[in-house]
Amino acid sequence: MTGLPTFLRFEVLRLLRNVRYVGITVGFPVVFYVLFLHNEHPEARIAGTTWKTYFMVSMASFGAMVASLNAGGTRLAAERASGWTRQLRVTPLPSWSYITTKIATSMIIVLPVIAVVELTGLLIGGVRLSPLTWAVLTLVLWASAFSFASLGVLVGYVASSETVYPLVTALMFLLSFFGGLFTPVPDLPVVLRHAAAFLPSYHYASLGWAVVAGRAPGAGDAGVLLAYAVVLGLAVTWRHRVDESRAFA
Amino acid sequence: MGLRGGPPRPAEPGGPALRFSGVVHRYRSIVALDHLDLEVARGETLALLGPNGAGKSTAISILLGIQRAQEGEVSVLGTDPRSAMASGKVGAMLQVGGGSGLPHGVKVRDLLSMTARLYRNPAPVARTLARSGLTELADRQTQRLSGGQAQRVRFALAIAGDPELVFLDEPTIAMDVEGRRSFWAMMRQFSTEGRTVVFATHHLDEVDAVADRIVVIRKGAVVANGAASTIKAAVPTRRVRFASKGVDPARLRELDGVNAACVRGSQVVLDSLDADATVRALVASGVSFTDIEVTGADLEQAFVALTSDLAEAHTVDDAVAPAYSAPIRRPPASRTAP
Ligand SMILES: Nc1ncnc2c1ncn2[C@@H]1O[C@H](COP(=O)(O)OP(=O)(O)O)[C@@H](O)[C@H]1O
Ligand SMILES: [Mg+2]
Repeated sequence: MTGLPTFLRFEVLRLLRNVRYVGITVGFPVVFYVLFLHNEHPEARIAGTTWKTYFMVSMASFGAMVASLNAGGTRLAAERASGWTRQLRVTPLPSWSYITTKIATSMIIVLPVIAVVELTGLLIGGVRLSPLTWAVLTLVLWASAFSFASLGVLVGYVASSETVYPLVTALMFLLSFFGGLFTPVPDLPVVLRHAAAFLPSYHYASLGWAVVAGRAPGAGDAGVLLAYAVVLGLAVTWRHRVDESRAFA
Repeated sequence: MGLRGGPPRPAEPGGPALRFSGVVHRYRSIVALDHLDLEVARGETLALLGPNGAGKSTAISILLGIQRAQEGEVSVLGTDPRSAMASGKVGAMLQVGGGSGLPHGVKVRDLLSMTARLYRNPAPVARTLARSGLTELADRQTQRLSGGQAQRVRFALAIAGDPELVFLDEPTIAMDVEGRRSFWAMMRQFSTEGRTVVFATHHLDEVDAVADRIVVIRKGAVVANGAASTIKAAVPTRRVRFASKGVDPARLRELDGVNAACVRGSQVVLDSLDADATVRALVASGVSFTDIEVTGADLEQAFVALTSDLAEAHTVDDAVAPAYSAPIRRPPASRTAP
């Protein structure tokens, strides 16, 4: 079947041509990195590494999250509302193609976002890591972005085209601030410190923070993310079924 | 090809394009399809005609495999609807609610060429563009299209894969008169090439120019089936009004040609298939009347009357507004003609 690759390429190109999307997903983490790099001394020690390195991982995580939530959530909700998802069901594409393509598109887009933030760290922040560490960091952040991708798709199924923007904005805010992506978790108020343990954003970034500190990524963090991915994946499948059984959206 | 289990099955080009037998479909307590039977031959253009809520969209969504029939049998191109869809021989234009039905951020041409590539033997994109009157709009972004233009793109999506069988659900619903006219011209050309086309509409005037056959459905069941001329002959096209006191509507209903009788105080309105026969029968019946007047009924409204509950009830009391309220007057010339 040549349908899936054709559709995937169409989706990726359509997303990349969207200037606003690319601007937000790449621009925000890069700009925030440059802006907040000097909030601390770049060479200050934190969690077994330097602030400039630690914060690069934070912003790469933030970028991966924003990219996924917008690629999945915002666009999916709009396309359900416009009737495009229904139109796709009357093509030879199998019914699961839309979701899998949205998740795959998210994953494909996330990789360059992570790379651009890393490049900013290298060129502007002066981050120095061994080639192996760069590679492992990129791979770990990329692979675990799967949980954000499924979160994005779920948001797109749950929200309507009107509620999706506030929902995505709120999620971005909550997950990044309370997950310690802007202020390191130990510096957060006590109550919030406990909240972080429940957020995928915190565990996601923790994997990367461990890598840059020369530690092995925590099995606990990976476990929580996996659990998130499974639960979100099931929820997505369920929402998709509900949507499918409805004849008229 | 043909290697799956046993000898390859002949493609049975002689079989019907689709068959619906005894299909029942409910939405909770609403019966949308009530033992609907339907058969469409290959190459035929069939209009599914019926008022809103008749079950047209439900029938089409089952034929497309979007929903499964709860009872009864459905076959499309000799197989089940989902396999037919997956085979790439079916195209469809669905009824859309508020949206355009299109994704944003893509040019019309790119959207069509992607869609075409999902099918096994697609039509060249340039041809699809020409057929749907979109050549000029090929480089337009989808979000910059007007409602009517978006509708043409959705038609183009339905035919991009050069399908054998095409379903169109209320394809002209948001179009103006000119848009409708050019749309049906496009459709006519498309359907003359041996393809099977099934379209749903609630506009009686749209069907006779295009459809080989019309199936009128009402409350999920077939109420009429035949060529456009046959269906039109069954629709009351004349209205006879007069004043009369204490007349029995049941008796009026028996008069020749009368399809529906409405008595409202001393005012009587008869919907008739044949005004001459009705007036003759009225005189012969001995019912006293004054102020008789014969007018042409609006075909559209008469059709609504045919497919609504009023056609059954025959009598409308004052509390219920009749389905027709603005009969079109017959031009005086035709009444004063020698
Ligand atoms: N998703 C649905 N849920 C509940 N009722 C529905 C749904 N879709 C259609 N119906 C009902 O089923 C009947 C047939 O609807 P439909 O097939 O859309 O008719 P048409 O297309 O002829 O207007 C109507 O009474 C409609 O209200
Ligand atoms: Mg309908």
